[in-house]
Amino acid sequence: MATVNEVIDTTIDDPGNRTPLVIGGHDYGSITKLVCRINEDKTPFAWYVAFAASLTVLGFFFSLIGYLIFTGVGVWGNNNPVYWGFPIVNFVFWVGIGHAGTLISAILFIFRQNWRTSINRFAEAMTIFAVCCAGIFPGIHIGRVWVFYWLFPLPSLQLSMWPNFRSPLLWDVFAVSTYATVSLIFWYTGMIPDLATLRDRTTNPILRIVYSILSLGWTGSARSWSRYEKAYTLFAALAAPLVLSVHTIVSFDFAVSQLPGWHTTIFPPYFVAGAVFSGFGMVLTLMVPARQLFGLKDVVTLRHLENVCKILLATGSMVGYAYAMEFFIAWYGGNMYEQFAFINRAFGPYWWAYWIMVSCNVISPQLFWFRKCRTTPWLMFVISIFVNIGMWFERFVITVTSLARDFLPSSWGMFNPTWVDYGMLFGSFGLFFTLFLIFIRFGPIVAMAEVKSVMPHPHSPVHDDHHAAVEHS
Amino acid sequence: MAQDPNNPDQKLIGLMAQFDDPDSLLAACEKVRKAGYTNTDAYTPFPLHGIDDALGIKPTILPWIVLALGLMGGSAGLALQYITNVEFYPFIISAKPLFSLPANIPVIFELTILHAAIAVFLGMLLLNRMPTFSNPLFRVPEFARATDDKFFLTVGVADEKFKPKKTRELFDSFIGQTAVIEVFDDPSSNEIPKVFKFVGIGVSVLALIPPLLLWRAYNDTATVPRINPIRDMDVQLRGDTQTVSHVFADGRTMRPRIAGTVARGEYVDPILLTGIVPEMDQQNVAFLQEEEPPKEEGEKPAEEANAEEDKPAEEPAAEEKPMEEKPAEDKPTEEAAAPAQPEEPEPNWVKIAPIEINMATLERGRNRYNIYCSVCHGLAGDGDGLVSQRALQRQEPTWVPPTNLHTDYLLTQPDGKIYNTITNGIRKMKGYADQIPTEDRWAIVTYVRALQKTRTGTPAEIPAVEMKELEIKGQ
Repeated sequence: MATVNEVIDTTIDDPGNRTPLVIGGHDYGSITKLVCRINEDKTPFAWYVAFAASLTVLGFFFSLIGYLIFTGVGVWGNNNPVYWGFPIVNFVFWVGIGHAGTLISAILFIFRQNWRTSINRFAEAMTIFAVCCAGIFPGIHIGRVWVFYWLFPLPSLQLSMWPNFRSPLLWDVFAVSTYATVSLIFWYTGMIPDLATLRDRTTNPILRIVYSILSLGWTGSARSWSRYEKAYTLFAALAAPLVLSVHTIVSFDFAVSQLPGWHTTIFPPYFVAGAVFSGFGMVLTLMVPARQLFGLKDVVTLRHLENVCKILLATGSMVGYAYAMEFFIAWYGGNMYEQFAFINRAFGPYWWAYWIMVSCNVISPQLFWFRKCRTTPWLMFVISIFVNIGMWFERFVITVTSLARDFLPSSWGMFNPTWVDYGMLFGSFGLFFTLFLIFIRFGPIVAMAEVKSVMPHPHSPVHDDHHAAVEHS
Repeated sequence: MAQDPNNPDQKLIGLMAQFDDPDSLLAACEKVRKAGYTNTDAYTPFPLHGIDDALGIKPTILPWIVLALGLMGGSAGLALQYITNVEFYPFIISAKPLFSLPANIPVIFELTILHAAIAVFLGMLLLNRMPTFSNPLFRVPEFARATDDKFFLTVGVADEKFKPKKTRELFDSFIGQTAVIEVFDDPSSNEIPKVFKFVGIGVSVLALIPPLLLWRAYNDTATVPRINPIRDMDVQLRGDTQTVSHVFADGRTMRPRIAGTVARGEYVDPILLTGIVPEMDQQNVAFLQEEEPPKEEGEKPAEEANAEEDKPAEEPAAEEKPMEEKPAEDKPTEEAAAPAQPEEPEPNWVKIAPIEINMATLERGRNRYNIYCSVCHGLAGDGDGLVSQRALQRQEPTWVPPTNLHTDYLLTQPDGKIYNTITNGIRKMKGYADQIPTEDRWAIVTYVRALQKTRTGTPAEIPAVEMKELEIKGQ
C-alpha cells in the first residue's frame, strides 16, 4: 500500500506544497481499517503481559492507599517542617502531564494546527488518566479520606461549616475538578463519531451493545455534524483558557503563601510552561512506542513527532528562562531571604535534585535544535524520559527545598521519604498504564473522523464533466 | 431484510442515495435543495465543509445556550461564595474582609467554564436528539459504512415535493451515486418491553430505601447508639467522667480543683459571696479558700459568731433559751473548729447589702422569703411559722424555735451577718446556699430589713405620696 509514499520525507518543508498529514496512499476506508484493526484484531500477547504488569502495580498502589487510610498519614515521610512531601509533588507532576491533551485538542484546534488530529485522541486519553492519578494524591493527602466531600461546598446535616473560598487550596479543588470534568466530556464528545464507527464494524454482540450505548445513536447526519462541530469549537474555546487556568491555580497553592522561593509572581506562567513541557514529554514517551507497535506510522508521521519535539524545545527553553529569572529576581529584588532560598536550592543540601532538574529540563531538550534529534524516534524517546524525570524533580525542588529551609533555622529539617512514598509514586504509574491499556484495546486511539476531514478529497466523477460547475469549496 | 418491498407491513419513509466520495455528495445535495426538497439530510463519516450551504442547514442556537449557562454558572459561583462565606459561615482569616471579589475570581471562572462546557455537551446532545438508539437507518445494511467511507443523501417521504417516481428519477440521475436505497420504517413496537418496565420500577423502589432509612435515622431518636462505620473522633484515648484512671495515684479521672485557683468565669465578688469585707492582705486568700470546702470553712465564722452572740440573742427569747443553747454549743464542739473559737475575732461584716436595692429587689426578697423562710419564721418574721407552731404543739423535744426577726439582736446585726446566717445556717437552721442563689439571699436580707422597718419605722419616714395612698387605703 505504502510503497511509493514511503520515500516522502514529511519533515521537509516544501514551500507551495503542503506536506501531507497522512502518508501511505490511504483513503477513508483504509484509515478506518488501520485504526480499528487495533481494536478488532486478536488481543496481542504483549498487551496481556503489559496489562498484567500494570494491574499488579495498580494493586500495589491501592494496597498502599489502604495501608495509609487504616494507619494514617504518618506512613509518609511528611513531617515538620516538610509537610508537603511526595503526595503534593506527585499531584503537581501528574496534573502537569494532564495538560498536553487538552492543550493539543483545544489550543492547537483554535490555531488550526491540523496535525493535531492524529495525536489528539491519544493525548486527551493521557490527560484524563493523568488527572485521575493527580486527583488521588490530594484526595489521600487530606488524612481523613472518608470525609473528602468536605472539600466541596455541600450543605451538611452535621456540620454547619462551609469552605473558605479565599484559600488557593479550595480554588485548586474547583480548578482540578472542573478540568477533569471538562477534559472528560471533551474527550468523550470527540470520540462519539469514532465509537459509532466501531459500533458499525464490530461483530462481537456484547461490544456492539457497549459501543451502541456509548455512541448514543450517532448517524453522521449533516445536521448533527453541524452542531457537533460548533460544540467542538465551543469546547476548544472554553478549554483553552481552562488549561491555562488550572496550572496557574496549582501554582497559587505555592505562590499565595509567603514562603521564600514560593512567593513569586512568575509562578503562574512558569508552571503553565512546565505543564505543557511535561505533558508533551509524556505524549512523546507514549507516542513513539505506540506508533511503532500499532503500525500508525502513516497517520502519526515523523513530521508529527518533529512538531512535538519543537514544542518541547520551546517550552523547555521557557522553563529554563523561568529558572534563570527566579535567580535574577532573587538578586535584583535584594531580598536576602529570597536570595538564600535560591542559593540554597542550587548549592544547599538538595543541590543534586536541582541539578538533575536543570540538566533534564533545560539542557536535554536543547538537543532538539539538531534536526537529527528531532527525526530519530528512539532519541526523542530517551529525551522525553529525561523530561519526565526532570519535571518530577522540578516539583520536588520547589516543594521540598523551600519547606526544608523555612523561616527559623531552628526548625530546619530534611525530608526523609519512606518506602510508602516511593511505592505510591511508582504505583501511580500502575493506575495510569492500566487505564491507558484498557483504552488502547477498546477505544478509538486515533480520531478517525478528524483525520479523514484533513485528508484531501479523493477524485470525484463530478469533476469529470460539465457538472463540475456545481462543485463547492 | 427490512427493505423487502413486497412486505405490505413496511412503510416507506424515504429514499437514500449512496456516494463514494464527498464531492459527488455535495453536488447531489445542491441538486436536491435546488429541486425544492426540505426534508433532506446527508450522512458522512466526517464533517464535510460546504454541506451546510449545500443542504441549506441553518446555524445552530447552541452558542446562545452556552452563553446563558456560562453566565449563570459564573453568577452562581459568585453567589455561592458570598452566601457561604458572608452569610452562612462568616469566618475572619488574617483580618481579611469576609467578601473580596479578587479572591473569588478563580472559582467564578472555573464554574463559568464548567457550566458552559456542560451546556455545550448536553445542548449538543439535546439538539441532535441524542441518545436515540433506534433509528430506521440502522436497519439499512449499507448504512453501516456511513461512519466509515461512504456518503449518503436522504429525502423523506414526509417532504411535500416527494413523489415516488419523480424523486426516484432524481436520485438515479445523481453523478457518482453508487446505489439508491429505499428506507422503510421500523415495524417493531415502540413499547418498552414489560421486563424492563418491571425491573425499572423495582429498581426505583429499591433505590428509595437507603435514602428513606437515612431520613429516618436523622429524624428519629434511639435508645442505642447509632451505627457509625467511621468513628472519627467518637472513640478517643481520653478519660471520661466517673471513670477510673491509672495515671493518678488516687485513681480518679475527674481531678479535684487545685487549691488556690479560680476557674475562668467562676469569679464572684468575695463580699457578695461571703458578706465579709476582707482584710487587704487576706483578700484573695480568704476568697479562694471558700471554693473547694466552702461549707466547713464558711460555717466557722458563722458559728463562732453565733456562739459568742448567742447570749444577747437569747435574752429577748428567754423561754427558748435552754433549748436553743444546747444544740448551738454542741455543734461547734463536734466540729474541728472548736478550739479556735474563743480567739477568733468577729469578721468584718458588710454593713449594707452589696446589691442594688429597689422595689424589684424587695419584691424578689419577699417572694423568696415567703417560699423559704416564712414556714419557720412566719410571714411577718415573728418566729411563728407553721412548722414551728406545729412542732411546739407536738412538744418536739429537739425543736429549737426559730428566732424572732424583730428582736434587737437582729435589728443591730449588720446585713453581712444575716446573709451569712442564710447562707450557712445557724444552730438548727440549715444553710440555704445550695438552694437560693447569692443575689436572692441578699434580696431576702433586704426584705428582712423591710419587715423590721414595719415595726420600727415612723410615719415621718414614709414618702408623702405613699402616705397619701396609705391614708386612702386605710379609710
